[in-house]
Order: sequence, then structure tokens, then C-alpha cells
Amino acid sequence: MSLWVDLYRPKTLDDLHYHEGLSNRLRSLAASGDFPHMLFYGPSGAGKKTRIACTLRELFGKGVEKLKIDQRVFMTPSRRKLDVNIVQSNFHIEITPSEVGIYDRVVIQEILKEIAQTQQVDISAKQRFKVVIINEADSLSRDAQAALRRTMEKYMSNMRIILCANSTSKLIAPIKSRCLLVRVAAPSEDEIVKVLQYVASKQPFRSIDQNVAREIAEDSNGNLRKAVLVFEALKMQTPDLSGPLTIAKPDWETYCQKVADMIIQEQSPQRVMEVRSKLYELLVHCIPPNVILKTIADHVVDKVDESLKADIIHWAAIYEVRLRNGNKKIFHLEAWVVKVMTLYKHFFFGIDMDGFD
Amino acid sequence: MESFGEPSMLLCASATSLVKPQGSFMDADSEPFVPTSLLLDPKNTGNVLDEGGFGSPGMVLCPSDQTTHDRNLRISDATLLGDASSSISSFAKPSAVPSPKHVLTDLESDAGFGTATLLNTTSTSTSLLSTSNTASSSCRHISLTRHIEQDDSTSGFGSATLLNDSFVENGLLSDSNITSSGPVEDSQSSFALSQSQDLPEVADIIRPYVSTTGAIASSSGTVVVQRSTVKATTFDGKSVFFRRKPKRIGTILQTAPGRSEKIGKLLDVPIHRLMENLSRDTAAKLTLKGSQPQASTSSRTEDTLWVDRYRPERFIELVGDDRVHREVMAWVKEWDWCVFGNKKGKKRMRDDENLDEWKRPREKLLLISGPPGLGKTTLAHVVAKHAGYGVFEINASDARSAQIVDERIRPALESGSMIGSNKPTLLVIDEIDGATGGSDNSGGFIHKLIQLIQERPRRKGRNEPKRVLPILRPIVCICNDLYASSLSKLRPHARIIRMSRPNDLHIIKRLRTICDEEGMKVESRALTTLVGVAQGDMRGCLNTLQMIKSRYIDVTECVIRKATAGMKEAEASQTSVLNDLFTPMSKKRSKDLGLTEEQESRYVTRLSREIEASGAMDKVAIGCFEHYANLRRHDGNFSHYLKANEWLSCYDLMSGEMRSEREYSALQYLSYFLVPFYPLFQERGAPRVERPKQDWEHYTQMKTNEEIYDTLAHNLRSAATRLGGAYRHFASQNLLHLEFAPFINRIISPPLRPVNSQVIKPEERILLSRLVDIMVALELRFFLEKTEEGQNTFRLDPPIDVFVTYDGKRATDLAVSRFAVRQLVANEIDAKWVNQQAVETVAASKPKRNFFGRQTASAYDPRIIGDGKLMPGGRDTDAPPNKRARKEEDIVEKVPTDFFGRPIVATGNTTKPASRKAHVEKKYRVSYKFHEGNSAAVRKPVKVSAFL
Repeated sequence: MSLWVDLYRPKTLDDLHYHEGLSNRLRSLAASGDFPHMLFYGPSGAGKKTRIACTLRELFGKGVEKLKIDQRVFMTPSRRKLDVNIVQSNFHIEITPSEVGIYDRVVIQEILKEIAQTQQVDISAKQRFKVVIINEADSLSRDAQAALRRTMEKYMSNMRIILCANSTSKLIAPIKSRCLLVRVAAPSEDEIVKVLQYVASKQPFRSIDQNVAREIAEDSNGNLRKAVLVFEALKMQTPDLSGPLTIAKPDWETYCQKVADMIIQEQSPQRVMEVRSKLYELLVHCIPPNVILKTIADHVVDKVDESLKADIIHWAAIYEVRLRNGNKKIFHLEAWVVKVMTLYKHFFFGIDMDGFD
Repeated sequence: MESFGEPSMLLCASATSLVKPQGSFMDADSEPFVPTSLLLDPKNTGNVLDEGGFGSPGMVLCPSDQTTHDRNLRISDATLLGDASSSISSFAKPSAVPSPKHVLTDLESDAGFGTATLLNTTSTSTSLLSTSNTASSSCRHISLTRHIEQDDSTSGFGSATLLNDSFVENGLLSDSNITSSGPVEDSQSSFALSQSQDLPEVADIIRPYVSTTGAIASSSGTVVVQRSTVKATTFDGKSVFFRRKPKRIGTILQTAPGRSEKIGKLLDVPIHRLMENLSRDTAAKLTLKGSQPQASTSSRTEDTLWVDRYRPERFIELVGDDRVHREVMAWVKEWDWCVFGNKKGKKRMRDDENLDEWKRPREKLLLISGPPGLGKTTLAHVVAKHAGYGVFEINASDARSAQIVDERIRPALESGSMIGSNKPTLLVIDEIDGATGGSDNSGGFIHKLIQLIQERPRRKGRNEPKRVLPILRPIVCICNDLYASSLSKLRPHARIIRMSRPNDLHIIKRLRTICDEEGMKVESRALTTLVGVAQGDMRGCLNTLQMIKSRYIDVTECVIRKATAGMKEAEASQTSVLNDLFTPMSKKRSKDLGLTEEQESRYVTRLSREIEASGAMDKVAIGCFEHYANLRRHDGNFSHYLKANEWLSCYDLMSGEMRSEREYSALQYLSYFLVPFYPLFQERGAPRVERPKQDWEHYTQMKTNEEIYDTLAHNLRSAATRLGGAYRHFASQNLLHLEFAPFINRIISPPLRPVNSQVIKPEERILLSRLVDIMVALELRFFLEKTEEGQNTFRLDPPIDVFVTYDGKRATDLAVSRFAVRQLVANEIDAKWVNQQAVETVAASKPKRNFFGRQTASAYDPRIIGDGKLMPGGRDTDAPPNKRARKEEDIVEKVPTDFFGRPIVATGNTTKPASRKAHVEKKYRVSYKFHEGNSAAVRKPVKVSAFL
């Protein structure tokens, strides 16, 4: 039994609830017979993958929904074994190279070559090419992106690539120039409410209170998947959707908020230690450190004086870069915390701070 | 007495030195019994007669055993009486040591002691102990007293007194008063004379017991010593051989000339004068030595390391904790029974229960551990030698693989002794911590070794051509790091002995002896410093000294400082580095290293080198990170903290960059990033740095959680396979961690009331069935478990509720999942699983035979038909009837499997009411199921009708 998110995911371009214009364009692209490489980008939960799936369906028909999921083992030059999960149908293959971290290049090369060198055997297939979907393309390493470049041109006859990314900023320009960029914007609140209503209409209770839907939509911050998940969780927890509803926040977010409060309440060595243990707790739960930093920074900025906001975000940005380049995440998180404490303290006691560049 | 420690010390002359048969077994080459009192001391004179033992028959030596040369005598008591003033022969009471090895080449007939005794002379003249009745054959002269002639048969043989050269060296007897034999006849005659004159009185008293002595004179030519055997014969006709080893010819040469002069006045010089001479000579020799060290040393080429030259060869020469040495010895001795047979066993073997059927001690291995340079290897070798073993050594220079055990060790141990030697083998495995295969692979050296010692003879089986012998020889292993991972398996099987740094005084004393020997002038302070810097490493000290010697004559403290710069820096462990970073250098250590105040305050080089040397820079960094916030608590504006963090960030960036770009030349600068913690945080009396563990703990915890995530992701994927790709998007990491994990926990914890599933309300029934569906799809289950308090709980598996549990508390908005509820859910899930499995087995077992197998997906969920398309909304709108229908189906599917797992279809269908049957039949879709495999064939959905 699937969750609502999957259950009511639109299957065809016609079923899509918003971005009508985009749907039309995709439809005509699929029909044109001259389908390009594509890069779908946009925030998480905007509907990129759904649109990709719908486009595929448009291209290949129903057969594309027959999925097979299996695991393949790749060998790095250093004889290391990599397990990669592959979703494929007769017409396409879907991979997430970032699963294997820095070895993504190997996966990209192997898979692409394999696909590119085999022609479509199914005579009845609507298209002569196969499609490779690369998820989380923005976390591809430089090497992997470079490995993509030439292949994309060379094997155009057999293969199309659809990249799916949150932002294009981490993709190298040659890749971007070879793709048709498709931005999938986050749905507006109204659109989310509309979708929630649709989901509710499929349920025995038929409808959802407008206010509840609005509240969920506001909270979801443009993330439709999250909105639907919250909705389902809410429905499970309070089956009749009545009374005062509390929209569930993910626990790590609540926890980050706590940490932010702690930073603002007190600035002392003891507090540094306490915050450190909280940060460790978050890291232990596999929350990505840059998400931790961003969430805490957001909450801190909400609570401090206007004049401090810029500095805090400035330093958060600096430490985020360090996070990415460094190995020990906790060092940089704590360094930022100490920095914020210093800034706050200086501000509070009116001491002029220097060293701000 | 100075010479006391020299085991080779020999007996000096005695007119009547009585030798007691000990019957103790000593191999001719083994260590001599150490004399415990050597009496040249005038003080001892005259008291001998008081000694009860003197007259006792037991003091007469007569070798108890027939065999001669492998038996040894232990002359335990020889008494020498000397009455200097009267020039009468006197008795002294030395303990004589008969080790042939040390038997003096030249003979002593000492005037003061009224007897001449000696043993060996050169090849030319040898006389030893003579017995009365055998005027010992080969000896040119033997003196016999009349007493002996009288009662020859009674007593043993005349005692021999041996004088060792070492003795001479030690200044106890100097040349001048060592009467060397001149013409042999001379000495003999004089001796005979003295005997005949002086002895009677004494002899009268002790008549029955007194044996005579053989006096031996040697010519000055004796110095040229060959290895030859000295033969003596006991009273009862047994021959006794003493083997002799050449020794220190140089000194002997010196002594030679004096001797001939004095020979005539053998008895004329009073003993006190003799003693005086002796000490004067000693003094003279010492000054001589001091004055010409260069001459003597420079002449000697430095072709051996001091470490080897002064390696202790005897047990008592070992420096260090005697208790440890004895412990090792005791263990080796425990093998005696097994190795040498039941010789002197029983009374020593108090702990017989420790022995196994081959009389081996329980631990067949000895594991000696300790830092380098303390003499572990030496100890093992010395003890082995002392206990009469031949050493078979395997060290890091040999390949140490599993084959070695079979190819070399086993044969060596099984043959019992080495080729060309009659000594049993003792295996020494040096540097065993570098050996492979302790922890993991079963083919490793250590594993094999353990097998070897645990082996018991197997029954003779058909396939077993030869019996495997148990190991009957001791094995000594030596390592530096007792807790090396490779040794973890070995430790339970071994007796473990830890060697620790001996008291500095002992080392200094030994170093001083060696320096004297080498003619180096060394300040005491210098030695103290050296030992301090080397931290007790004897080998290091000796090597340093040797090196210094090639350049300087006088060793002062500053020379030592220069020479030892950098010594022992590599030894710093991670914790000690951290302590050095956060606390100023201790006064003692800085004194040890002799730093001035200014040098002490310069920390950068010192610390950076130390950090680098620790080899675990990352760990040091983590240690710094964990510790710094404990310090400087009063630091109001965080200035120190800011800087510290800045340095840590830099360190991390730099090391990250270094690794990712493989620019390892940057490594040398890395340590400087951690040095600033010293000026920032160093503080006397600050809390000690603990071993950083927080980071590791969190890391392992994270790994556990990651594993749970992985399981969950795996479940999601397999669910996706079954449900046509439904959950697959959630399996990507970020989504899983950030969105799916928190919300799925909420979705699976609806507020259900714990009621019987029969009387549950319809709304709740919907809720429950949906919950169960989701949980089954994700392969989440509740398992019954007992907590520590003995309560039953249901545990979620995989435990994805950890993701809503922060700081040990579950999220507040999650309903507390009660036991009864979980039980209810668990039962439902189990039922569902059983159904599903039944369906799957049906599908799997009969996919083709009767075309009745259905696609898994459609079998699993009736709403998914054929090609995986969902019947929109079908599930919940008509949930209750559908549910019941399913139940019925389940019955059909559960019952009808025969022995081979084939469903017995007909019976199940016929039992149904017609209406239901129609309904059910309608739901069956017969389709062909491809076995998805390797086939590259074209696949096409086909209906059964196509075949009919």
C-alpha cells in the first residue's frame, strides 16, 4: 500500500495540477520527435520527478511504468565495489550516482556507455532512443560531470539524458549548454491547497477544511511532497481532522530551533559544550550539516536584532563553505556557534567588534 | 668483595680445601655455581676450625656419579685456613667453583694459604686434583700428602682450588703474590715440605676427613692456553675432566713474570703483606688503566656495538627487576620435568596440577612485553642458556607467515634439539607484534601458532599417516605492544610478563661500569641525564655513549644533550601529546631535557614536532576540540575560543585539501595548526586531558543510524518493486533523512484504542487496516521483546523510531504507543504477512504449470490489476466488504497447498457459495508471468486466451 504521495501522483501530463504551460511545452516536445537532453531544476517537492515521469509516459506510452529495481555492482579502478540501485524499464533507466559519493564518475561512465552502445531492440518502441535519468545531478562531482560532456553528444542517436537537480549552480556550464533547461517552480500556496483538496476528494471523507489545507500549505513552504505527507500524517493522527490541529514539524527542525534558542539565551563556555552535544545529536541522526547550519541560522536570525542579521548570515555562509571543504563537520558548526555567540555578546554589551571583513 | 659477582671466580688455594659432593647436575658448560664467599680476607682466618662443617665427611668431595665429564662438581665449601703470621698453612674457606670454563690457566700456589692448588696448567703441565691412589696419570706432578696415603680409601679427592684470572684482575691477587710455579719440581717440593711440616696438627684434628690437595705448579708458559681438558681422578678411580676455555690472555701475560720470582718464597710472605701487595697492585693497575685509556681503546677497533659487547651473558648480570627475571626463569624451569625428564622434579613441582599429561605448564607460551631497549631479548636468551636450552630464534627479519610455523618451527620443536647440539631447543619468537594474522584470517601466523600449542596427538586414523606430536618445548614470545591487535588471540594462551623501566640507578651503575671498561670519563650527571632522556632505554644509552666516544673523551652533560637531541621523541602517544599541548612542561621533564628557561618557553618547534611524531594528528585535533571548552571558562569575550576554532577550521580545511588533492607535502605544516592551543589554553593545574572518545562514540552511533536508514531505504526499494515504483523517490538520502523519516513515524502511530480486533469500530478498522498495509509494505514489524526489567515490549524493527527520538525522548506530538496497541497491530501485521507469503509461494511455485500463478503485485493488492495500474480510490471506499472478500480469498490460498506446495485448487473453489465464487473468479486474472532473469528475449504481455 502506497502513501498518498505516491498514490495520487499524476501519471500523465494531462493529470498535472499546475504549471499548465510547462505541461504543454513538454507534451509538444515529446511529440516533436526531436527530443533533446533535458535538465529539470527547481526546489525540492516542486514536482520535477513527476514531470519527468509524465514526459516519459508521453514519449513511450504505458510500458515505461513497468519498473524493475535492482542493484548493480560496479568496480572502481582501485578494486572497490560499489552498489548502485537502478530503476529501469524497457525504455529508460534511472540512477542516483551521488549514492556512491566520489566514485560517481565510474557509475556514470559505465552506465552511459552500456546504454549508449545498445540499440533499442523493441521494434514497437515509440522512440529509437533510451532515456537516462540522473537524479541529484547537482551533487555530481566534477569528474562525473566532465565524463558526461562528451558522451552526451556522441551517443545522441541512442540515448537522451534527463538531469534532475535542485539548482543549476553546481553544474558546469558545458553540461548546461547541452541541455534544455526546464525550471519547475514550487507550487504556490493556492496550488498546494488545490492539490490537497484533490487528494481529499479521493478519500472517503471527500473534503478537507479550507483552513487546514491553507495551514498545511503555508507550513510546507512550497514543498508539495511535504504538504501531502503532513496531510497524511495529520489524518492518521487525528482521523476526523477536527479540533485544534498542530502541524507536525520534522523533529530535526524542532531540535534545531531549540539549539538556536540556546545560542541566544546564553553565551558561555558551558553553553558551548551543551550546544556541541546537541549538534552531535543532530549529526548522529544523519541530518546533513549544511541543513543543520542553515536551519539554525534561520532561526537565530529570526530572533536577533536587525543589525546583527546580516553578520550572522554572512558568517553562516562562510562556515558553510568550510563545511563543504572540510572533513570534520562538527569543527565548523561549533566555530560558527562560537562566532555567533561572540557577535551576540558584543552587540549586547555594546562592545565594538572588529575583525569583520 | 669486589669480584664477588663474577661467577667465574675461582677458588684460591687451600691446603685442605674440602670439597663436598653435591651431586648437583651441572653441565660442563653451564653456569658455574656462584661462590658466595670467597675468602682471602684475613678476617676469616682462624675461624675455620669452628665451622662445624669443616670436619664433616660431607665436605669431602667425591663425585657421586660415575660419569665424568658431563658431571660437574660443585665445590661448595672449601675452606681455607691461613695463618699468616705463623706462615703455617691455613685454611680458607672459599667456595670453589669448578666450572671448567673459568678455570684458571695458570696455577696458583699461594704462599699465604699454605697450599697450592690449582688445576690446570697448560698443555705442558697439568695437574689437578689428585687422588692418593692414583697418582694421576697425565699430570706431571702431583703432590700427595702422607695423610692421604695413609687413609686413601676413605676420603674423596683432594680439593682443587682454582684461581681465576678475573680474580687477578679484580685485584684480589696481584701478580706479585701469586706464586706462579717455577720449575715444577720446586713447587712440588716446597709444597710437599709444607704439607709435611704444617699439616699434621691440623690433620690430626680432622684426620679422617682431610684429603689432600694436589698442588699444581705451572710454568709461566701457561698463559698460552689452549683449549684442553684437564683431567683429574678421584679417589675411587673415576676420572674427572674439566674443560677449559681460553680467556683474557692479555692479563695473564702480565701476571706471568712476577710469578717465577716468587715461587721460592711461597710460604714466606705473611698474608697481610700479601694482601697489601695485592691491593697496591690493584691500585697500580687501576691507575695504569686510567692513565692510558686511549692507548688501550684506540688499539681496539670498534667493530662491535657496545650493545653486543656488553650484552649480559649470565643470569646475574642482567639489569632490571630481578623479580621479572626470576619469573621468566621459573616459567622456563617449569618445563624441566617435561624437557629433561623427572630429574630433580618432584619436590620443586609443588603445583603439579598445573601440568598436563606431558608435564608441561599450563601456559605453553611466555609473552614478554615492554618498551624497547630494556633487554627482553637478552633476558630470553640468557634464561634459555642458563636453563640449559639452545635458542632457536625467529624475529622480524624472518618471514612470519603461516608456512613458517609448519616449515621451521614445528620441525625445530619436534626434533627437540638443534643439529649438532645436545641441548633441547627453546623457541624465541622476537617482535611477534609485527606478525600477521592474529585477528582476522585463519591462515595467519599467530593463529597457526596457537593451533600448534594446542595440538594434542590425534588418534591414528586412516587418513592420518603420522601422529602429530604435541609440542614439548617452551616458546617465548617477545613484543613491544602487548595490546597489539594481532596478539589478542595469543594473550589468553600465554603467561604474560611485563618488563618495565628499571630503576635509573641500576642502569647508571651499569653504564658507569661499561664506561670505565671503555676508558671513558663520564660525569655522573651526564649519565643521569642520558638515562632520563632515553627513558630507561639501555640500548639507546649504550649506542649514544658509543657514538659519543668516537668523538669525545670526556663526557659531560652538554655532550649528552647534544647527542640525544631528538631521541625518544617518536614515543609520544596521543594522550601525552594532548597533555603537553594543554599543560606546560613539567619541571622534571624540562630538567631531564636540560632546557633553559628561554628554551622552555619556545614551544613551537617542540610541540609541532611532537604532534607530528604522534602519527595521529587527526586524533590530536579531535582531542583539542573536545578539551578546549573545558578550559578558560572565565574567558568572557570568547577571544580564545574564537581563535582556537579558527585554527581548528584551518587545520580541517588544510587536511581535507591535502587529502583530496593528494598534496601530501602539506603534511609537514599541518602540525603547526594545532600548536596554538598551547599559548591559548596552557595552564598549570588544569584538568587532565582525557582520551577523546566523544567523537568516536557519536561516530559509531551515526553508523548505527545510517544502517537503519539503509535498511529502511532497502525496504522502500523492495516495496517500490512490488508496488510499481511507488516508494522509490523516498529512498534517496536527503529525502529519507529530512522528510520521510519524521513523517512516516507519525503516519504509523495513529491513536488507536487497544481493543479486540473483533469489536473495533469501523473507522478505526479503516485506520488499522491502512496502518497495517503501510507497515507491511515497508516491512516494518513489531517484535516481542523482554526489557531488562522483565517487561514485555514490542520493538519496532527496523527501529525507525530513533529518528524521532532526540536526546532519548520521543517527539511530543507522537502518541505514546502502548503495549496493547502494538500487540494489536503486530497481530494484524503477522496475519497479513502470512497471507502475503502464502500468496507469494503460490505465485512462485506454480507460475507455469497450471497458469494459475498470479503476478505478485496483483496478488498482494487486489486493487492493482494486471499492469500495475491502480484502481483509483478503490481501497477505502469499499473497504469493509473488500476486506472480507480478501479474507475468503486468503482461506482459499492458505489451505490448498499439497506436499509440494502446489495449491489444490478444486476443493477450495467448490466449497464456496456460488455468489462469492463468481465474485472471486471475476477477480482472478490469469496471466503469463515471465521469470525476469537474464534472458534478452523480447518480452510481450500475452493473455492465456492467445494459447487456447
